[in-house]
Amino acid sequence: MEIKLLSEHYDKPEYRSLEGYKKHDGYRVLAKALKMDPKAIVEEVKASGLRGRGGAGFPTGVKWGFLPDNGEPRYLLCNADEGEPGTFKDRLMMERAPHQLIEGMIISAFAIGSKKSYIYIRGEYDDSIRIVREALKEAYSAGFLGQNILGSGFDHDMDVYVGAGAYICGEETGMISSLEGKKGQPKLKPPFPAVKGYLGKPTIVNNVETLAAVIPVVDKGAQAYRQHGTEKSAGTKLFSVSGNVVKPGTYEVALGYPLMDLINNECGGLKPGRKLKAVIPGGSSAPVLTAEECAQANMDYESLAQLGSMLGSGAVIVIDDSNCMVDLLGVIMHFYHHESCGQCTPCREGTGWLNKIVHSVLSGQGRLQDIDLIVRVSEHMMGRTICALSDAAALPAISFVKKFRDEFEFYVREGRSKVKGAAHVEM
Amino acid sequence: MLKCKINGKEMEVPQGTSIIEAFKLSGQDIAHYCWHPGLSVAGVCRLCMVEIEGQPKLQIACNTMVQDGMVINNNSETVKDVVRWGLDFHLINHPLDCPICDQAGECGLQDQYMQFGKYDPEMAERKVKKRKVVDLGPTVVLDSERCILCSRCVRFTDEVSKTHELGIFNRGDRSEIGTFKDRPLDNKYSLNTVDICPVGALTSKDFRFRQRVWYLKTAESICPGCSTGCNVNVYYNEEGLWRVRPRHNPEVNGHWMCDEGRDTYKYVNRKARLLEAKMGHRDNWTLESPGAAAKAAGQKLREVIEAHGPESVALVLTGQYTTEELETAVQKFKGDLGSSLVYHWVNNPESFEDFDGILLRGDKNPNTKGLLKILEQEGVSLTWKDLESRVQQGQIKTVVVAGPENQSVFPDFVEKVNLLAGVENVVWLTACPHSVLDSREKATWQIPLKTYIEKAGSFINHQGKTQSFEVGTVIVSSALTLAEAATLLVGQELEVSSGDRLAELTRKKNFFTETRGAL
Amino acid sequence: MSIVKKPKAISNWYLPGILSGMGFTFKKLIKNLFNPKGMPTLNYPEEHYQYGPRFKGNHVLTVKKDGSLRCTACMLCATNCPADCIKIVASEHEDPTVEKYPISYEIDMLRCVFCGYCEEACPVDAIRMGPEWQTPALNGGNFTYDIQHLAYRPNLKGGIQSRLDDEERHKAGI
Repeated sequence: MEIKLLSEHYDKPEYRSLEGYKKHDGYRVLAKALKMDPKAIVEEVKASGLRGRGGAGFPTGVKWGFLPDNGEPRYLLCNADEGEPGTFKDRLMMERAPHQLIEGMIISAFAIGSKKSYIYIRGEYDDSIRIVREALKEAYSAGFLGQNILGSGFDHDMDVYVGAGAYICGEETGMISSLEGKKGQPKLKPPFPAVKGYLGKPTIVNNVETLAAVIPVVDKGAQAYRQHGTEKSAGTKLFSVSGNVVKPGTYEVALGYPLMDLINNECGGLKPGRKLKAVIPGGSSAPVLTAEECAQANMDYESLAQLGSMLGSGAVIVIDDSNCMVDLLGVIMHFYHHESCGQCTPCREGTGWLNKIVHSVLSGQGRLQDIDLIVRVSEHMMGRTICALSDAAALPAISFVKKFRDEFEFYVREGRSKVKGAAHVEM
Repeated sequence: MLKCKINGKEMEVPQGTSIIEAFKLSGQDIAHYCWHPGLSVAGVCRLCMVEIEGQPKLQIACNTMVQDGMVINNNSETVKDVVRWGLDFHLINHPLDCPICDQAGECGLQDQYMQFGKYDPEMAERKVKKRKVVDLGPTVVLDSERCILCSRCVRFTDEVSKTHELGIFNRGDRSEIGTFKDRPLDNKYSLNTVDICPVGALTSKDFRFRQRVWYLKTAESICPGCSTGCNVNVYYNEEGLWRVRPRHNPEVNGHWMCDEGRDTYKYVNRKARLLEAKMGHRDNWTLESPGAAAKAAGQKLREVIEAHGPESVALVLTGQYTTEELETAVQKFKGDLGSSLVYHWVNNPESFEDFDGILLRGDKNPNTKGLLKILEQEGVSLTWKDLESRVQQGQIKTVVVAGPENQSVFPDFVEKVNLLAGVENVVWLTACPHSVLDSREKATWQIPLKTYIEKAGSFINHQGKTQSFEVGTVIVSSALTLAEAATLLVGQELEVSSGDRLAELTRKKNFFTETRGAL
Repeated sequence: MSIVKKPKAISNWYLPGILSGMGFTFKKLIKNLFNPKGMPTLNYPEEHYQYGPRFKGNHVLTVKKDGSLRCTACMLCATNCPADCIKIVASEHEDPTVEKYPISYEIDMLRCVFCGYCEEACPVDAIRMGPEWQTPALNGGNFTYDIQHLAYRPNLKGGIQSRLDDEERHKAGI
């Protein structure tokens, strides 16, 4: 069952404009928040158990607490570089409710004491960029941004920064590099961005959905927010469901919602006559779940981790029996090969190598030892690099080969897909 | 001081030491490419992985600081496996064209693969093709395929030379080092990028394909290019010197040296040298061995002194000689000849105090401080004007010039030779010939001297730091040092060292010639 | 090598030794006189012995399809040479795919010990040892073979081509 804390009014076109947003109680919470003590907001967010919705699932309040108390200017960055294949929730939020994001950001910025924030939007999101920019103008003219917001004495400026289309800039330090005008490459940690981020100053990077979720937390209080979801994964989350379902789209459900319910109830199930083969529950970097595993899966951080996968950005990709897993891995590997920034050797060379191996299998030139080689190469890419991109490439590769080994072996032996009629996509 | 344990070995390191530095201090091996002690940490090669007790994940040693009580090791199977695979990742797109690669023999990939490698390559796919023989600038050639993208060169131009010419373009395994359009790699320190390149991606145009490095021997020396006195290694074989590279000295030059200093090997080689002494004047030269020529010149000197008194003979010195040589020369000249006319030839007075903020100094002599010290010690304080006026008045009949070794940094060379055109006798001590000397109208002795690599001694650099060096190799064996020349000029004999008698007696005898006898 | 035997008393009786030796010599002389085909020796220089194709005789530098040298001047042969008889001077080639080539390649045949290490060291099959071995010369003969002789001497008929093909290798991404 959908619980619409954030997406309640997404179906109304007027919600996009300031007028419409205000009509539905917009900026009411901001006024409330500005009267609160910033530290109380941070505590409230900590207590709410809100976790980062971008992929890693790090508790937001704890992250805010890492900021050093040294009087340096702080920056808030909104990560709207939604690059994970299968994810489209941030786009929906920015296009349907840009003011919700802006309001969430002002509250968050007020909580952490930041005077300047940026919304880093993926370059391909033309509409989102345009809409958010318009919304910013509206917010400035209505006095929600700029000097002395709503008479509280709090000043805040917000800008949109357009990415150039690199997946790696969705990684927080990569985004900071890009924002600094450098090549979008992740930076060595430590130091962490909360200590030394944008321009060497303390910086908090949060996902669009996380920042928007601050509004209901501040509005109704932590306890009310915790009523949804599970003990460790509190609240609701937007899931982008795509693939072989009748009604693909973005659905807001409470965390811990069973995966099969999401597919069968909200998304209208699979197409008639098809059988579920696998689900990638958290975007292309999450390990794939087989149909049997899906039955036990709940959509929260812990349950999926238990099954060896992850919630990631909440991009559920449903795969039915008409798809060839080798081909699918080929597509995923091509993506990661293309998006590796090329800094760390295991990732730079490993993603290219994996892509070549999978495509040599797809071209019918594969050898049986290649199947094991995919696993070995992937295992040696994991945890060896600055950022998690090499893990993101390695995890699906390992899970695909381990869980659908028969399809890979069939492809190597016969030179064709085990799935009849599966179209081979030439890269 | 922090206590830590590296591979079971207890040691203490100062606060703020990274693990890789601690490894270097403990003398234990650790694989690495991107880390360089003179540059910032990039942490991209991912080879210096270590296990730290209490931390679940392996950490890179270059970006992890040692903390008190840390127990670190890199000899477990896990770490070794990671390093083996790390090296394999480096090599899968490496062209392995070692036969034509200039780095072969001193290549980081070769060395570290021998030590840590997997020896079982599994890559069966096509390698990525990139640009080869890319002209980066006047000094450096790039081979993108060989590059392992350690980013040392990029960091060098960003952090040390601060010229920012290099960058990494594109991403993933299509990444390449490159320059921007119209901004070639052209700075005074560009060849350091070749030194720090762990593979053969950057090669020096000057040294490229000239020699295989395993044919070259190394000797430690001091760069004679300017008063900074960078510590260098010279690479030589029986044909002569082939290149000069910096040697680490934190007090003087750090890890670097300038491109100008690297050219100082050129005037040392036989091709550029004066091999035999020349006596006579324009179009009428007789060749003579250096020793005999020096004696003959000495004879002339004494004749002149007898005829016109000691004040008719002058000595001109440059800061290009070792302190010991200069001291002997001045002492012999003053003591044995009795002339106090000793002059200091300053080559480029207007740019003498220049400094570019990194290493290069305007004073292009390695030992100006040493010369000044000797002159002060011997109580000489004559100006160049004094020499000029004495020459013009015809008081000076003979001038002995310890001319510059490195003539290219003496822009006033011709001017000074012409100044002495009217002097009856000139004894020019020099390592390299010069056409102006050959066209002198009056009596001239050109006596070949040894260069910096062929003699032992010390230079005093601009900081006042005395740096001594030993004989590296001998290129022109008959050439004299300035001290030897001065000794011969005042009519004394050289001490002949008989060699090490004991060593000769205990020398290993050749079995075939000494014991076995004829067949 | 010399073998020195200590003199014994019996050594003084040399006549039996001489007689038995002469007897053996004359037996062979008469046998060969009437049956010359049974002789194990050859009448050099009228007759030549044909060695096998893998005989390590004089060196040959192989060429590419276009007739240029295969040698990349890596100097591994010179490094490996125990007699130190190979001298190479390398230079930069105009063609960036060739990059490095020898402008001079000399083998001092009088120093060469025909060990074949150069052949084994070569990574690109540029030097081989051929079946040719009779290369006498009169006083003043040149035994320092240069590129012209090693790769293009008349009896090689335009040079020996290696079976390795660089272009194919390059295309295969090796």
